[in-house]
Amino acid sequence: MYRHLHEELEKLKTTSLKMASEVKDSLKNCIVAFQKMDTDLAQEVIDRDNLINSLEVEIDKICLRLLALEGPVASDLRFILGCMRASIDLERIGDEAANIAEATIVLSLKPALPFYIELGRMGEKALEMLEYALDSFFKPDPEIAIDVCKMDSKVDLLNDKIIKEIIAYMIKETPAIERSVYCINIARRFERIGDLATNIAESSVFIAKGINIKHYCQFDNR
Amino acid sequence: MKQNEIKIKIQNLNFFYGEKQALFDISMDIFKNQVTALIGPSGCGKSTFLRCLNRMNDLIPNSKVEGAVYFDGKNIYDPQVDVVSLRRKVGMVFQKPNPFPKSIFENVAYGLKVQGIKDKYLIEQKVEESLKMAALWDDVKDRLGESAMGLSGGQQQRLCIARAIAVEPEVLLMDEPASALDPIATKKIEELIFELKKNFTIVIVTHNMQQAARISDYTGFFFMGKLIEVDTTETIFTKPGKKETEDYITGRFG
Ligand SMILES: Nc1ncnc2c1ncn2[C@@H]1O[C@H](COP(=O)(O)OP(=O)(O)O)[C@@H](O)[C@H]1O
Ligand SMILES: [Mg+2]
Repeated sequence: MYRHLHEELEKLKTTSLKMASEVKDSLKNCIVAFQKMDTDLAQEVIDRDNLINSLEVEIDKICLRLLALEGPVASDLRFILGCMRASIDLERIGDEAANIAEATIVLSLKPALPFYIELGRMGEKALEMLEYALDSFFKPDPEIAIDVCKMDSKVDLLNDKIIKEIIAYMIKETPAIERSVYCINIARRFERIGDLATNIAESSVFIAKGINIKHYCQFDNR
Repeated sequence: MKQNEIKIKIQNLNFFYGEKQALFDISMDIFKNQVTALIGPSGCGKSTFLRCLNRMNDLIPNSKVEGAVYFDGKNIYDPQVDVVSLRRKVGMVFQKPNPFPKSIFENVAYGLKVQGIKDKYLIEQKVEESLKMAALWDDVKDRLGESAMGLSGGQQQRLCIARAIAVEPEVLLMDEPASALDPIATKKIEELIFELKKNFTIVIVTHNMQQAARISDYTGFFFMGKLIEVDTTETIFTKPGKKETEDYITGRFG
């Protein structure tokens, strides 16, 4: 009975790792595609979204089976719940990456604007957050999760700053309004990715310690 | 909400079968009108511990108890304690249903008669009440005079529960009461336990962890004669404090 449980849990872990690495690649590629205005790479990100969606469905199925048939408890149960939550967050990050890639394809048709570099850096920050979050999730290491929460406030500040800059630019450069609006959207999406990475980090704390730090970002025991 | 009135307080309990120590320094509280489940691999001392709570182990030659078990604040191992009245207050149900080869009625009336109750009407009333509480009345009300041996295993076990509660104990000790039963009979016993805790304090040994999770408010994990951890059942099954508990309940044992 337990052997089957452990095999299924192993399968859940591998599938989650696979999904995590696909999403990480997607995010990385959408940033590079934006920075280099590489439309082929952007298209690849858009195409990869199907695979990510199907991995989410696969994880759902494994979790459902585990819960229905194996009676998981304690850390096993927490791991399953954590994977269910993380797969939802990862799928959304995949969506955001695809949306950014779509915007990139549109932007590639016109000259670049001065804040593209900073926007790209913001993307790199969001990617770094995701990498830390996944690291903390799969170890699991709740200390790393706290770092992710701290990084999130920095990305939030960066987002506010960039959006202000873009708006100031739009006021002066009316022909760049359309591109500027796209850029605001991209900034918002990177910021959102940071939030989703934070969720994943929070799930890792739940897995490791059985406590919920959602909306607190600190270990408030029990 | 959990009630926190302590019914039984166990303090530094050791138990020996001759030279062999079976329980090591056990301390825990059993709360009133709550179900406390004891889990752990076989041979870890669950039954021994359960029997310490109503001094059933007294009957075993060369056995020795150290420490104290306070029942409503009084140590049951004090020399002046009347063991017969203790066992009336702390009733027991065993793994294998063990009805007497007598009628259904006589099985339940037995303890009352031993107590010296002669009033026929009172006995009838108690028998009916107990059978109702044990969720057996509807099954047997038209054949109370028939032999208890003709009942199914699940019915026999509920009869044993009726017999145990007829004498109005305060605590019910159950040693794997459903392990010899099929899933439907098991379900009935589990539902019954849920009802019974309104009137009794229940301590149940079970080797079925999902059963412990379903029916109990508190769970204690025993391993090699030691109580490794006791906490609310929710805590034990979602975030146990000890690695040994975690390993046992998730099947990563040894
Ligand atoms: N009557 C007895 N005489 C000697 N040893 C016993 C007796 N009953 C149980 N034991 C021993 O005490 C230990 C605990 O047994 P028990 O309480 O029955 O465990 P559990 O109920 O957890 O399976 C075991 O090693 C068992 O062999
Ligand atoms: Mg036993």
